Amino acid sequence: MRLYRWLLRLCAPSLHREYGAAMTETFERRVADARVTGLGPALRVALREVFALFALAVADRWGQRRGLPSTLLRPGKPSRSNGFMEGRGFNPGRRTRIDRQWKAGRMDGMGMEIRQAARRLLRAPAFTIATVLTLALAIGANASIFAVVQHVVINPLPYPDSDRLIELDHGAAKLKVTTGMGLTNGLYFQYAERARSLESVAIYQSGDVTVTRDGGPERIRGTKTTTSLGKVMRLAPAVGRWFSDAEGKPGAPAVGLISHGLWSRRYGSSPGVIGRSITVAGVPTEIIGVMPASFAFPDARVDLWLVAPAAREKGFGLFGWAGVARMREGVTLASVRTELDALIGDLPAAFPGDAMAAGNGRSINLTFTGRTLKDATVGSIARALWILLASVGLLLLVACANVANLFLVRSESRQREVAVRRALGAGGFGMARYFLTESALLSVLGGGAGFAIASVAVRLLVTLGPATLPRLGEVQLDGVAIAFTLLLAVLTTLAFGTIPLWRLVPLANSLHEGRGNTASRGRYHARRLMMGAQVALALVLLVSSGLMVRSFQNLRALDSGFNPSSALTFSLGLPGTDYSSLSTVVSAHHAIIDRLAALPGVAAISAGSCLPLAGGCVGNTIQIEGHDLKPNEIPPLALFRAVAGGYFEAMGMRLIRGRFIDRGDVDRREPVVVISETIAKKYFANEDPIGRHLASNRPPPKDGPRFEWLTVVGIVADTPVRVLAEPTPLPQLYLPMSIATGPGEAPGTILPNVATMSYVVRTTSPPGTMVASVRAAIDGIDRNLALAQVRTLQEIVDRASAQMAFTMVLLAIAAGVALMLGVIGIYGVMSYIVSQRTGEIGVRLALGAEPVGVARGIVREGGVVAVIGIAAGVSIALAGARLIESLLYGISPRDPVVFVTTTIALLAVALLACWLPARRAARLSPLEALRTD
Amino acid sequence: MTPALSDLAFHILLALGEGPSHGYAIGKDVEERSGGHLDPTTGALYQALRRLSEDGLIAKATGPGETDPRRKYFELTERGRQAAGAEAQRLDALVRAARKRKLFPQRA
Repeated sequence: MRLYRWLLRLCAPSLHREYGAAMTETFERRVADARVTGLGPALRVALREVFALFALAVADRWGQRRGLPSTLLRPGKPSRSNGFMEGRGFNPGRRTRIDRQWKAGRMDGMGMEIRQAARRLLRAPAFTIATVLTLALAIGANASIFAVVQHVVINPLPYPDSDRLIELDHGAAKLKVTTGMGLTNGLYFQYAERARSLESVAIYQSGDVTVTRDGGPERIRGTKTTTSLGKVMRLAPAVGRWFSDAEGKPGAPAVGLISHGLWSRRYGSSPGVIGRSITVAGVPTEIIGVMPASFAFPDARVDLWLVAPAAREKGFGLFGWAGVARMREGVTLASVRTELDALIGDLPAAFPGDAMAAGNGRSINLTFTGRTLKDATVGSIARALWILLASVGLLLLVACANVANLFLVRSESRQREVAVRRALGAGGFGMARYFLTESALLSVLGGGAGFAIASVAVRLLVTLGPATLPRLGEVQLDGVAIAFTLLLAVLTTLAFGTIPLWRLVPLANSLHEGRGNTASRGRYHARRLMMGAQVALALVLLVSSGLMVRSFQNLRALDSGFNPSSALTFSLGLPGTDYSSLSTVVSAHHAIIDRLAALPGVAAISAGSCLPLAGGCVGNTIQIEGHDLKPNEIPPLALFRAVAGGYFEAMGMRLIRGRFIDRGDVDRREPVVVISETIAKKYFANEDPIGRHLASNRPPPKDGPRFEWLTVVGIVADTPVRVLAEPTPLPQLYLPMSIATGPGEAPGTILPNVATMSYVVRTTSPPGTMVASVRAAIDGIDRNLALAQVRTLQEIVDRASAQMAFTMVLLAIAAGVALMLGVIGIYGVMSYIVSQRTGEIGVRLALGAEPVGVARGIVREGGVVAVIGIAAGVSIALAGARLIESLLYGISPRDPVVFVTTTIALLAVALLACWLPARRAARLSPLEALRTD
Repeated sequence: MTPALSDLAFHILLALGEGPSHGYAIGKDVEERSGGHLDPTTGALYQALRRLSEDGLIAKATGPGETDPRRKYFELTERGRQAAGAEAQRLDALVRAARKRKLFPQRA
């Protein structure tokens, strides 16, 4: 509504003065009427009204310039008709009939208008493609970044009234701790019982816990919280219920809620999970609820919520609890701070005789330092994303400038056509419709293509985005983002559609105007400056993304020590209730391996206790025979992998010396070990490790030998453990799974537990197609076994390079957009210059200039600007090299190959963009060129 | 001699023939009476209303008190009544001429 009023004031000031309020009221009611039938019709009505205002504005100005009075009473007005519109009954009748035809076939008329505009655009394919592409890229980039900003920054907390949520934190000036102390048991009760500005308060602590039962042991992240967290967050579980107050009291039975992720991962999203028991760190705990997928508090990694043992009787306690609270309605953070600081001063009275309370209040200058939960969650990311949004907004402006330039070039070349149309009596409305239809069509195309680009870009961003971004997984192009795109499209339409119109108005007599209509030097300079800046920007982004692409290639070309292609992996845990000893576990794994090996399409299969790049490896110090430790020397550390026979073959690992571990070793429980290259180089520098012995350190047993010596039988290539490019490879060793540990083994053994194994199935067909048959085969052995983390080895490798891929894709998109805009910008400017100089070129051609020479001159003119822009870009890229250095791998930020290739590529493209208008100039026939001016 | 009225202007005068009215209602009336052939946008409608006022065919009127204060009411002036009558006569003459030349179905 405000927009309408504003446009009204802008477009038809006289009408606005007199009828502004009444018109807005009418407009409102009309939109409201249409709203009853739906959002679409309402939008159509609103758009129609707004477009009509523009047309009105043009007609208004036109009328004023030509000194025409109002034209409502058509004939008979002496000032307007000098005889030729006279003739009562005939002219008005004709006009009315045409009007009627027009109105009766309004949709046809509109369709005709659109068809004609489309035909006009098709006749200028270069202009159309350039405009649509520019709009699409700019709108696409804006809509996708906006979608991310909207979810991650504007509305990062999916909780009701989330602006009232605050984190509770403290600092103590006397201890030189500015913030981050958290709070204590005692502070929680002090606030929960006495703070009037807070509606509810909760404290929590997070840590990793091991859960067993139903699907093997798993290390997950758990949060212990007071039962009040439910009231603070105001989010109900998706299934089951939240903790009751009674369950928060000490001595209550252990209960817990699980995350949506854990629920689907471990329990197949079965509602029957409620009431089941899960063993958390050895304590049987009843599952009472499942939180919704959107609940990611304190962070997205948490899979389990338990009750925190808070009690007033425990006294003041130690710091280290995190806190969150909901402010009462209308309360500000400042007033909360005042009240809580006052409550801190009152601590000794609240906990009489408690030394901790007395010593931790005023005496250490304890103050409340909490922020809003939103600031605490997205504070730093928000700024980066806003900057990103601002820069793509800038990109949109550049795009608009480019498109405006293209429109100018076009309107320049059509002035004659327009003048003729007007002379033949085309009215303001007609001309407005003529241009607006064209630009509306372009905007719709650009907006549609931009939307397609945005949806692809958003999907890319979500897949590749760093996991630390809150709510990134939920980002999608929803109604708001669509509306944003639509708004951009409409605004650009109006902006470009009116450019030729505003330029037309003062040229009412352009038919009479003579030649010599050339642009001033100043305008040329501004255009060239813009063109050069665009080239420089494109070069900087091209170099950066070129460096990223090379880094990515280097990273992917790294020898990972195994073959990631066409291999399916999954993890399988054997529940301790059914498989209670190491020997039953080993034979179960053998049975599964044998069954899967018989499947068609399986080339090799094996299993290991952990996979490269997937985490979860057991590490321990090792003892090497003959290497006695000096006092205070830290023993060497190695990662242990317990494997089934054929593991190295299934993983496609390279043998350097000796032999692999085979099925016979596992069956006979041979005390053998295969070591990685790093161990061989580091600890057997000048000797042959084959046949030597080493052992895993463990607490000395009461009887028997101190070490179980393992004989080295082979050396294999290193594999990466955490990231693809590990600065120093970690020592790794492999032993038969039958000599590792399993359920029922004595505690304290520090060897991999083989109850849960990661299977590797090397396939002859695409790995994804094998999942169903693998699942069916395992079901045939034990229906209670569930596959977890089903993925290909390639996916594991991809995930490890995701961070670099994300940066690379962002930069590549930006570089692509910048290149595109740069080329279009050059093309637009050069075309404009050529069109402005058509007369001059015609004269030169007529006087015998060679067309090739003319073209060369124009290319040279643009080329000089491009070269200057490239030089500026190269110096910026060289100067900024250090900024990007940390993101690169195996390449210098000043890599000459990247610099030279991108420079040549950009120069070539820039010259091509200059050559196209130059060729047109050269092909001009002198006669034609002279006639246009 | 009164000049011929534009289609929209005549429809507006017709709408006001029933008594004073305001912009939104006039617009609705015009649209309904013309069977949707005429559906002026708010801008076009007020442009026409302003010109009719300037030409003295309609005048601002006071509306019933309880409505939206932003609303503006219009009523026919004596001149407007005459103009509408003249236009109706003109159209009637045209229709009769058309009938005579068998261009228009005869009334039963």
